[in-house]
Amino acid sequence: MSEKKFLMGNHAIARGAAEAGATVVAGYPGTPASEIVEDYVQYPGAYVEWAANEKVATEIAIGGSLCNQRSLAVMKHNGTNVATDFIMHLNFTGVKGGMVLLSADDPGANSSQNEEDTRILVHTYGHLPVFDPSTPAEAKAMIKDAYELSEKTELCFVLRPVMRICHARSIIELEPLPDKLREPSLENDRSRYVMSAVAEPAYGGTLRPVIRHRWLNQKQEELSAIMEESPYNWIEEGEGEVGLVGCGIGYSYIKEALEIAGKKLPILKLGTLPLPRQKVIQFLRSVKKVLVYEEVEPVVARMLREIAYTEGIEVEVLGRDNFLPPEGEMSATYVLKSLGQVVPSFKDDLPFAHEPIPVPTRIRSQCVGCPYRGMLHALKTTIRKNKGIVTGDIGCHDAGSFAPMEVQSTIYCMGSSIPMAIGMAKTGIDRPIYAMIGDSTLFHNGIIGLLDAIYNQANVTVIINDNRTTAMTGFQPHPGSEVNVRGEEAPYMHIDKIASAMGAKVYYIEPYDIEATKNTFLEAAKEPGTKVVIAKAPCFLRSSRLGIKTFPERVVKVDPERCNGCKVCINDFGCPALIFKDGKVHIDEATCVHCGLCADVCKRGAIK
Amino acid sequence: MKLNLVIAGVGGQGNIFASEVIAQYAMKKGYNVFGTETIGAAQRGGSVVSHVRIADGPIYSPLVPQGQADYLVGFEPMEALRYINLTKPGATFLINRSQVPTISINMGLDRYPEEGEIIKTLSEAASCGYAIDATKAAAQMGNTIYTNVILLGALSKICPQLEPEGILEAILGRLKPKTHEANRRAFALGQELVSAPEAKVL
Repeated sequence: MSEKKFLMGNHAIARGAAEAGATVVAGYPGTPASEIVEDYVQYPGAYVEWAANEKVATEIAIGGSLCNQRSLAVMKHNGTNVATDFIMHLNFTGVKGGMVLLSADDPGANSSQNEEDTRILVHTYGHLPVFDPSTPAEAKAMIKDAYELSEKTELCFVLRPVMRICHARSIIELEPLPDKLREPSLENDRSRYVMSAVAEPAYGGTLRPVIRHRWLNQKQEELSAIMEESPYNWIEEGEGEVGLVGCGIGYSYIKEALEIAGKKLPILKLGTLPLPRQKVIQFLRSVKKVLVYEEVEPVVARMLREIAYTEGIEVEVLGRDNFLPPEGEMSATYVLKSLGQVVPSFKDDLPFAHEPIPVPTRIRSQCVGCPYRGMLHALKTTIRKNKGIVTGDIGCHDAGSFAPMEVQSTIYCMGSSIPMAIGMAKTGIDRPIYAMIGDSTLFHNGIIGLLDAIYNQANVTVIINDNRTTAMTGFQPHPGSEVNVRGEEAPYMHIDKIASAMGAKVYYIEPYDIEATKNTFLEAAKEPGTKVVIAKAPCFLRSSRLGIKTFPERVVKVDPERCNGCKVCINDFGCPALIFKDGKVHIDEATCVHCGLCADVCKRGAIK
Repeated sequence: MKLNLVIAGVGGQGNIFASEVIAQYAMKKGYNVFGTETIGAAQRGGSVVSHVRIADGPIYSPLVPQGQADYLVGFEPMEALRYINLTKPGATFLINRSQVPTISINMGLDRYPEEGEIIKTLSEAASCGYAIDATKAAAQMGNTIYTNVILLGALSKICPQLEPEGILEAILGRLKPKTHEANRRAFALGQELVSAPEAKVL
């Protein structure tokens, strides 16, 4: 008998993979996809790991696939960028056991440093088939089908849920897990799995990459036929000459919008790439104008125009490149507003009660008690003194680039801090250069940059914030955490030993000691070559939840006589537990965790 | 039956717990439930907004569309104001009066709106409103952790679709038995606070 549970989309996706019998699961944490890997440890018989990065995760997944296991690589869109080099090979070789690459997109960039569309990378560029779910329940069904189809076509399938699927919660029907899992086995097929520019005698000496490219191109027809019959694409009848195309969650927003308006328009619901060409042609022929709702780039809109042109269909295709807002997340309101401009009768149906009003934004900061606040403040006072430049990286410490800290001058993508610092230093600019990176990011991609800096003798001070966890995405362990995804003991990668083995001079700092930290930062920058400064302090938030103390408690109070309201502690240090009222600073007792750092920051000695 | 709830707050206030409790309750009642949350780095001073949608028919979008929220619950008053455009004409609001200023407000770069202003603006978008100081009441109970249960008590008192017994049962079902007594008290306190004449602000 089936059971129903109220589940987050990510948990529904993990369940779907488990029901399909996936036994090799690897990923790197990244909101909105992180929960899938964490959740998978509950399913018996599976190997699950937090991989060092997404390229590694994808390579692990295909290793499993070639041994005839069903496998899953999990990442967010940025991670798919990292994995692209491998994806552009696995599309040529194909897979053995069913393989799904899950890449979660974050339209609206609620938890990302950029906004992008995985479909372009994996489909337009990599020619892999994509499923784009409209609900968590459909995502679960899709991943199960993806395993079947992956084995049938020998291609890796991609599931591209958007954040509103990953982080939606709904009632999900659970079906049984497989009774028996497959035995692993490897069948050699060097003409596929050895990617090399070797001439193939059986093909008259044509080079292997060309043959595999041809194979991939020929596969597209087979995929098109499959998508034509796919249960994830359909047409809904409606009135009028304006048709709506809903891709993935775009379909859900269309349905919601039409329900609010109490109207029925023709709808083409699409959940696959390649598109079901015949269905598309049938739909385009039935209307004069279509609006295409998709996250986040006009991928399908452009395909529809190509089909209309090739088939000689006179239809106007309005998409995110020529009509709809091209950036940000869609919603039912987005659909209603755009429809109001195309179908006049929609204008009267908008039930908006109140316009949005400007409210002060909440900018992310370090947690109260976070070791990064002390470290960032020390670095800020250091660079004020020595005119240093700081290149930043991904992680909680990135909030040091916002007011009131404003320390890092740059933040791009995982691991970029160190190579960018090398480039700056090598210009000969007469300022000390600091690169700041976290532990998880160092293992992900940063270590290569560190190696490069040491090898090329760059005068760079690399600050490694070693808080022993991937804090930003919810405390996932990494090679420096001493535990694995299951919480079992794991070998520890000593950052200091790695750095010194590579030839860097290593310094240690205690980030709760602002003065000593500042002195080390100043001193390290004076030394030639690549220096590594390790700030070793476990994440306060995680430790406090586990009941572990990470600093000696210092209960401090504001002396209202001495406080002159200069606000250095607020405007320069920015601890959220400090509140300014009636010309004086006050400590919010409900928020303060007694790290006492504000006392070190107050130059008047008003906090003691 | 169709009920759209929006719960707006800041990290650490137990916003997601509250939305899950309501969802569990509705699911037990046999309704369809769909929802989502947007977590702007919740633990690091960001906003958290949960959308909970309950219906006896299909629900398409996990997000409550603009102008469709029946209840706007502000675990933090300014956060309620942030989502005012989601309220339906005739909606009810419930706010926790304890304010959490932003760093920019502390720095003097932004201004925290006066409570009167917040209530006045919310009142333009709703037809019924309540304000209680749940954080203060929780602190008086000994721990601000009870804030969300106090607010759930208050909400179940003013929202006829959420029966207090069922909501309390869903709360306790998610908590360790040794905490049940205190949470029962917090829940009852919320019901009591919202029933006081001064709580009714619209």
